[in-house]
Amino acid sequence: MIDERDELIERVAQALSPLPPKNARATAQILAAVRANRTRAPGRFALVFEWLRQPTFSVSSAGLLAAAALVIGFVTRGALSTLDQPLSVEASTSAALNAPAITATNAASDVNAVRAVPVEITFDAASAKSVSIVGDFNNWDAAVAPLTRFGSNGPWTVTVKVMPGRHLYAFVVDGKLVVDPRAPHTRDLDFGGDASVLMVNTP
Amino acid sequence: MNEIDASVPLRAKRGEEQAFIEIVDFYYPRCLRFARNMLQNDQDAEEAVQDAFVRVHNSFPRFREDARFDPWLFRILANRCRTLLSRGRRHRSLIEYGEVPVTAAAAQEDYGADWAEEVRVVLDSLPAEQKEAFLLRHVEDLSYEDISALTGVRLSALRMRVKRACDTLRARLTEVGQHDR
Amino acid sequence: MKKNSLNTHVTLAAAGALLVAFAGSRAGAQQEARVSAIRDDATRIVVVEQLSLAKEHGVPTEPLLSKALEGVAKKASSASIRTAMDNLQKRLRKANDLLAPSASVDEVSAGADALYVGVHDKTLRQMRQAAPRRSIAVELGVLTELVARKVPEAKASKMVLDLMARGATGAQLTALNSAVQNDVAAGLTPEAALDRHGRGILSLLPPPPGVTNGNPRPR
Repeated sequence: MIDERDELIERVAQALSPLPPKNARATAQILAAVRANRTRAPGRFALVFEWLRQPTFSVSSAGLLAAAALVIGFVTRGALSTLDQPLSVEASTSAALNAPAITATNAASDVNAVRAVPVEITFDAASAKSVSIVGDFNNWDAAVAPLTRFGSNGPWTVTVKVMPGRHLYAFVVDGKLVVDPRAPHTRDLDFGGDASVLMVNTP
Repeated sequence: MNEIDASVPLRAKRGEEQAFIEIVDFYYPRCLRFARNMLQNDQDAEEAVQDAFVRVHNSFPRFREDARFDPWLFRILANRCRTLLSRGRRHRSLIEYGEVPVTAAAAQEDYGADWAEEVRVVLDSLPAEQKEAFLLRHVEDLSYEDISALTGVRLSALRMRVKRACDTLRARLTEVGQHDR
Repeated sequence: MKKNSLNTHVTLAAAGALLVAFAGSRAGAQQEARVSAIRDDATRIVVVEQLSLAKEHGVPTEPLLSKALEGVAKKASSASIRTAMDNLQKRLRKANDLLAPSASVDEVSAGADALYVGVHDKTLRQMRQAAPRRSIAVELGVLTELVARKVPEAKASKMVLDLMARGATGAQLTALNSAVQNDVAAGLTPEAALDRHGRGILSLLPPPPGVTNGNPRPR
């Protein structure tokens, strides 16, 4: 057997070696997925949730969030079982984009047949003492979906069930309403300020 | 190769969440690199890495305290990549359907990335087991013994896979490499 | 002052009576509990009046109550909450009509949001016709977002309708929305971004029914 690492192979390895940067958002998503799996009974769990990947807007509540890097995660996972068993993944936005088109008849046959899907929410606010998510999916009630912390310094996470469609929401951080700086915003013409936009897809 | 302090996986095995966070933080870039190279699709790669870490977390009770963590992690990740590969390839570059270049910088990067792109094309043409063995050996820098432990393939067969991968890469990239100099 | 106080008590009593009327079902009982939890008397009266009105007109009350509670969470005045609920009520009624005969609560609510950002009545009707037997809440949500992000209404509506006609999935539509927002953030005009990604997704879909890729079949 020859020593296979000659100059060309060295160059190939170099071309394939650059490391992607650390990614706080991806880490938060992984931790959220771990938490979701730990707290959920085994069973198929799927959601499709698209998110703006490159936020470009300003943070309206910059003061409050100055010390808080905020991440909202989305998880699309099947039930996890044993180590070598294939993981069931129903679909993700990106997967569905590539999937063969289905016709309307494959979708829900009744306008009321749609069910709420679980959405994993992650919020990284190191200095916060309490975090809740409020939105039109929970009647803007901060008591409904408090986030809990992963580890001593980890992100805050919670799973909320949300009907497919477009939703407006905000976080309540230590009693104050704040928008999500990583999500699209929309002006709230009714009560002033901004609201964050969440798009949830049909599973 | 840069490995995490051996005490961290043991702390994670005992259920210490902070230790698991350290593991994710430490290994995420390497795992994503391997998954990207294997799957050639960022979304698939991110999915594989996320799945792998969730499985790592759930499987910690089975992690032997005297075992090394790297091969164990890569075993799980390689399994996830294989599953995704067998599930069928996604359309590789969805973005390509629009002809409008988003930024001039993107076009420049394309030019500079010719060699890397050629490498990826050839790598992608390799049988999955050759690609996996090549990446684990020459990019992730794992020893043949570690690769054998994580894949369950005999050393001689592994060496043959890597050799065949190298032969193909040499044959297909020599011309490009010469032009690129 | 005393008269005002008396009026308040009378109105509160009426509101209480309406609340009892609402509580006929489990959902009604939940709504009643939520309304009762509103501390401000004036706001509570406004909410009960608006919900009662919605019931009369066959308009779903959940989105209205949610709007009211959003106002409460944002510490809005009862007057602001009344105006917001009143405006939403009008849009809900309109959406309810446009999406008839089989609109779900989520669709009506999504339709009202679409009208809010300037989607035309005609579009809602066409979307219902394109998918009469399944929920189009996601499609309406995507259209709302596109128009809210300054994609011209006519272009956005046409693209969403074209995609629906070609059997695009909700996931494909939300991916379109995401891609458009990314491109707009990168400096493309909303219209160009929609065109770019809309065409991309259309190219992945089968041709519309009755259209073949090749020459028409001889009769």
